[in-house]
Amino acid sequence: MLKKSPEKGIISFVTDTIRWNLSGGIGYQIYLCCLAAMVMLGVYAYVVQTHLGLSATNMSDIVSWGFYIGNFTFLVGVAAAAVMLILPAYMFRDKDLHKVVIIGEGVACGALVMCLLFITADMGGPLKLWHLIPGIGIFNWPSSLLTWDIIVLNGYLALNLLVPVYILYCQYNNREPDEKKYRPFVFLSIFWAFSIHLVTAFLYQGLPARPFWNNPLMGPRFLASAFAAGPALITVVLVIVHTATTFKIEKETFNKLRLIIVVSAIINLIMLFSEIFKEFYLPTHHSLPAIYLYFGLKGHFALVPWIWTAISLNFLGTLTLIWNPGRNNPKVLLPACVLLFIGIWIEKGMGLIVPGLVPSPLGEVVDYAPSWVEVCVAIGILAVGMLVVTLLIKPALIIEQRFKAQ
Amino acid sequence: MIFHKKTPVFKTCFWGTLAVLLVIFAGWTAYSDDGGVVQIYKKATVPFDDEKKVDPVLSLPGKTILVQTPYQGGLFWTETRKDKMERYRCNDCHNNTYVAVSQAAEITHGDIVLDHGGQEKPLSCFTCHKEDERDFLTTEKGVQIDMDHSYQMCGQCHFRQKKDWVGGAHGKRISYWAGKRVVKNCVSCHDPHSPLFKKRWPKIYSTPFIN
Amino acid sequence: MPPRNNKDRRRQRENSRLQVKSNGRREFLKGAAKTAAMGSAALLSGCGTGMFGSKEELSLRWQEYFKKNYRLMTQEEKEETIQRLERLAKMKQGVDIQMSSKAPIDGVLFGYAFSLTRCEGYLECVAACVKENNLDRKSNTQYIRIFEMEHGQMSPEVGDGKYFHEVPVEDHFYMGVQCFHCERAPCVKACPTKATWKEPDGIVVVDYDWCIGCRYCMAACPYYGRRFNWNEPYVPAAEMTKKQHYLGNRMRAKGQMEKCTFCVQRSREGRLPACVEACPTGARVFGNLLDPKSEIRFVLKHKKVFRFKEDLGTDPKYWYFID
Repeated sequence: MLKKSPEKGIISFVTDTIRWNLSGGIGYQIYLCCLAAMVMLGVYAYVVQTHLGLSATNMSDIVSWGFYIGNFTFLVGVAAAAVMLILPAYMFRDKDLHKVVIIGEGVACGALVMCLLFITADMGGPLKLWHLIPGIGIFNWPSSLLTWDIIVLNGYLALNLLVPVYILYCQYNNREPDEKKYRPFVFLSIFWAFSIHLVTAFLYQGLPARPFWNNPLMGPRFLASAFAAGPALITVVLVIVHTATTFKIEKETFNKLRLIIVVSAIINLIMLFSEIFKEFYLPTHHSLPAIYLYFGLKGHFALVPWIWTAISLNFLGTLTLIWNPGRNNPKVLLPACVLLFIGIWIEKGMGLIVPGLVPSPLGEVVDYAPSWVEVCVAIGILAVGMLVVTLLIKPALIIEQRFKAQ
Repeated sequence: MIFHKKTPVFKTCFWGTLAVLLVIFAGWTAYSDDGGVVQIYKKATVPFDDEKKVDPVLSLPGKTILVQTPYQGGLFWTETRKDKMERYRCNDCHNNTYVAVSQAAEITHGDIVLDHGGQEKPLSCFTCHKEDERDFLTTEKGVQIDMDHSYQMCGQCHFRQKKDWVGGAHGKRISYWAGKRVVKNCVSCHDPHSPLFKKRWPKIYSTPFIN
Repeated sequence: MPPRNNKDRRRQRENSRLQVKSNGRREFLKGAAKTAAMGSAALLSGCGTGMFGSKEELSLRWQEYFKKNYRLMTQEEKEETIQRLERLAKMKQGVDIQMSSKAPIDGVLFGYAFSLTRCEGYLECVAACVKENNLDRKSNTQYIRIFEMEHGQMSPEVGDGKYFHEVPVEDHFYMGVQCFHCERAPCVKACPTKATWKEPDGIVVVDYDWCIGCRYCMAACPYYGRRFNWNEPYVPAAEMTKKQHYLGNRMRAKGQMEKCTFCVQRSREGRLPACVEACPTGARVFGNLLDPKSEIRFVLKHKKVFRFKEDLGTDPKYWYFID
């Protein structure tokens, strides 16, 4: 009979987690230092932005949302995509995906932290965020969609943090987590995942002032591209985990992820075709943003090479994943997923925000490219995201491995 | 048949009805049709006593004269003209005595360019000024019009603009939106002898996108 | 018992590894603490209290930071914040300003009409607005845009908003655009903190200090009516308009939204907005929509009027008419 070891407390859980996070081989330490350096760069650029105001970016009264909000929009999708692992793992009790679901949740947490940081970096008065707290400030719910977004993003972060932490804590103490306790929250997080991305889509969809955004397909298209890009990122993370650590992942898991990505990517392409048809069959003044995006307008062509690159990468990635030449060989899946991820990042980040705002409501066209401040702050936030993902996944995998070994 | 609370049919009906009611309520609250601002102002028929309701609205200095045509809100005033004319009291010169002056060419209205009416119906001096009564304007029908009320002269041909001017759609208000209504005279803006505006440069450069 | 021995052995190994690691960790933490202490000392010494302002200024700004949304303030609180703002303006820029918190007048709903026949593109309104509303001279913010349009088209989108030549040009007309103060303003609906709202007299205003700078209202406005302070605005003290209103032309800070307010500092005292007063041709008509004898009501009754982008259902209170 195994003698039960006494319950290790929360403090021990936290200190052990920190210890595992800081320990590792030389490669890992260098990786952490690089991330820290990127964070420092981001902080410096943000200090410049605080000093000069948002004029340090290249945003203007016409392109009032740019690189930051583009990245935020894309990353909400990536965060929502964790549901594509949670749904089969917890609902359909798929064993393969159950093994890696914790990685999906970690990626979702990292993406959500990045989203919140991007919003804060984009704001003109971040010190006044307390104006949003109901009671001491004013929270314009349900009228303003930004308030809905705040609720759903923070709620999803809480769900994706607390449920895995509970499971890991139980496993850390060598006992099975109680399904009855966390299952309702998992249910909730499945519906919540759809809602975070729909709400973010509605932010844009609900503005009749911007005809490029004001179409009913924004929400579903966001979901489709999210469920293609998110699992693609998760596949990349899994490949890294598979090659860099002792946590091994079966090819069957990669195959399942690949199928999810393929179906979502195909739906995304069908929706893209639907949008293109609507814009270009009988173009009106409302199609001018799409014309600016795909072909350029009044001498401004900045976004044209980007969008065509994005669409090509999208197609290339999708076709490679459909054809599957390596028979789920991670070495083939990795570049295909990376290409697909980058394509969707371009298309849903800058390729969605900037055309929505250009031409202006009065018909004026300007070009926009992020300034060095925006790029550096984005690099810093990316590093924070990667740190969060690493610092969540590393101890999680260690705990899981130990628990399985029991 | 008693609906036990746990049956699936009951549950579906309950939640389904609740969802439908919620959607209807949301739609009802979101869409409220009070006709918009057009209905709001059309229903507002009670005159607004701006003298009483707006804190002391200062009256403008400067000479004004009561316009002989009231507008929809009652009486209104316009700028005087006689005090702005250089050589008013035309009869000071135009009488039976000889006047010896230097710069005679200028003083004999040589500086006036008459370009009113274009090619089709060009006006002459005598269309508005009669030789025997130079202190007043005279209409086609022989009615004398005081120089301060020259709008009545313009209104003969430009009756549409005059109607708009009386109402407020033409011309410029120089008092406040509340209180005594004072507007510019026709001749305050339009030179009666050559009324066409000259071209000019804008006051400021429109620079919306410099960051 | 074998498992326990293994566990013990593993624990022993871990402990020894821990010791080595903990030494390294301890060194790291020591070094980090030292750097942090040095860094903060440098920051403080380099700045001194002078950098952030005098004690009085700091105390005023501290109080200003915690104030409520203007709509929720009592009359006393409004007066307090106005006193603080007047004092701060005196300290920072050396100007004596008179700020007002005048409430909307009962029975007034402001309306505006623009005559497309009369506007000759002089841009006098733009210059007057810049001066009256203390708009930032560094970024050349302008609330009003005038478009030079060719005959045959009616949408500013196909006009030229950046002309600078002798006006008026043959076969062209001029159309002015600014915030239209919609009755169903999309910006009011979009604001997450209710920093912008429609006052009872119809003017859509912004409580600048309450605005968090998210710029959602700017995305929601279909008329390019709103402006954002991307940098700290600057107005030379000599050119500043001293009579200000809390919701109107007081000096804004960077990161805040601003917009045309129908010159709330003027219109609530019965005066015409600066653009209406400045227009030499009288192309702009302003008045009380609820007063059946006002000029604006005459225009709406007797002229064929239209509003910009009426199909969006925003119900603006700014009409265009043609003689």
